[in-house]
Amino acid sequence: MIEINQVSQVFQTSARQDHLALSDISLTIQDGAFVSILGPSGCGKSTLLYIVGGFVRPTRGAAKMKGRAITGPGPDRGPVFQEFALFPWKSVLGNVMYGPRQQGIKHAEAEAQSRALIEMVGLKGFEDFYPKELSGGMKQRVALARTLAYHPEVLLMDEPFGALDAHTRTRLQNDLLNIWERDRKTVLFVTHSVEEAVFLSDKVVMMTRSPGRIREIIEIDLPRPRRRTELLLDPRYQKYIVEIERMFDDSGEGE
Amino acid sequence: MIRRIAPLLACLGLLVAWQLASLALKNDSFPTALEAIRAIPAVLGDKDSLVNFGASLRRMAIGFAAAVVISIPLGLLMGRSRAVASFFNPLLMVIYPVPKAALMPIIMLWLGVGDLSKTLVIFLGVSLPVIYHSFEGAKAVEEKMLWSGAAMGLSAVQRLVRIVLPAALPEILTGCRTGLVLALITMITSEMIARQSGAGNILFNALDMGQYDTVFAMIIIVGAMGIVLDALFERLRARLVRWSEPQFDIPLSFS
Ligand SMILES: Nc1ncnc2c1ncn2[C@@H]1O[C@H](COP(=O)(O)OP(=O)(O)OP(=O)(O)O)[C@@H](O)[C@H]1O
Ligand SMILES: [Mg+2]
Repeated sequence: MIEINQVSQVFQTSARQDHLALSDISLTIQDGAFVSILGPSGCGKSTLLYIVGGFVRPTRGAAKMKGRAITGPGPDRGPVFQEFALFPWKSVLGNVMYGPRQQGIKHAEAEAQSRALIEMVGLKGFEDFYPKELSGGMKQRVALARTLAYHPEVLLMDEPFGALDAHTRTRLQNDLLNIWERDRKTVLFVTHSVEEAVFLSDKVVMMTRSPGRIREIIEIDLPRPRRRTELLLDPRYQKYIVEIERMFDDSGEGE
Repeated sequence: MIRRIAPLLACLGLLVAWQLASLALKNDSFPTALEAIRAIPAVLGDKDSLVNFGASLRRMAIGFAAAVVISIPLGLLMGRSRAVASFFNPLLMVIYPVPKAALMPIIMLWLGVGDLSKTLVIFLGVSLPVIYHSFEGAKAVEEKMLWSGAAMGLSAVQRLVRIVLPAALPEILTGCRTGLVLALITMITSEMIARQSGAGNILFNALDMGQYDTVFAMIIIVGAMGIVLDALFERLRARLVRWSEPQFDIPLSFS
């Protein structure tokens, strides 16, 4: 269980001004839950994710994982960043194997697991490519595989599918759901796509425009396993989407 | 094809220009290119001068290697730690503008005219560009890359060695390349000041005795050494950082 307790984040800008990025966020995420964070650009979604990851220490409040205060990053929480996170001097295979090798898994075993993951994200045949030789979407898939490879209990995903074409995006959403249904990892998922949030999540956390506050938490009560083609025809799914889209519009916060 | 022979053409052009210029000037202290080239075998065939060259190269190799081994870690640390940077930056700023060869007389007072002084000057000459480029390279490493490493369980030291070092390697090698040329320059100038052994010693003794064809033969030899060393280093560099080379040559058009 992840508990975020009255967290506020103040950034010092280069002009020496205080900038309130997050204000008084409290949120509890149950083990195995799929929670999406949705909100306008700049509302602090990434910052909140970084705090859970232990990369940023909150100015006020605290985040806890399994009752223990989060003081830094750890392999129990695996981040998938928007960009720039792959190791450019490592091949696709080298990147994916990095985590398992770091955890002391034997080379042959790590390689076999990593090759399977690379195949799963649809990059079979690209094992020996370097990141600069991949498209943006392919890099994003490598980043996902690299994090899955070391089996974190919690996945922290920051708009991981934002740069992908609609087709790949749908495929990866399905893959992610399959993995999640198999392993029941806890997922904290930042997105700006309402459909994506509703399709994937148990809970959608709507945030307000900067300074980021929690505006509403919507439980998504749709049956699993979810099939996109079925959901698109499901009035309950449509209702969630319209409801959330309205919230964006209400406050003139549409992106 | 043109790319391969272009350097040769450039050298040839230079020699032709030299030949014409010296024929036109008809100055005793300015031998023609052909005369200088004809003097090369005599210099290289002489056992004494080979010993001198050997001594020069040995000092250069030791000075360069020591500088690289110390400067890279220092530069990387400065790039990643503000405290280390603010301690060393003022020191470097003081040393930076001083021509290293100008320190030679003082160093000779302390350490004598032998190998130690000259190697130390070479060391100083090489250190600064290597520190500077390592520093810049380390500073530019993407935070998300380091975060990814931290989440995989890499300690701070491991992150420095296994993420910052490879990520900054292209920049570091740029510094080393500059350092290599500076090593050659400081090697010659140090021997010019402490006239006791080395290639610079041959050159300036010949100058004193008015053996101008030997002087210019030495200049050609030292120049050729520079070209060969740089080409060898460039090969090594290309191998080490193949992953970072730009994909395409963008054709610039000046129309
Ligand atoms: N290092 C920093 N220094 C100063 N301000 C920062 C820093 N990082 C983030 N901010 C500010 O904090 C606010 C939240 O940023 P954050 O990146 O978390 O937004 P976001 O919701 O992820 O936006 P997006 O959807 O565009 O990714 C922004 O207003 C930003 O200007
Ligand atoms: Mg963001």
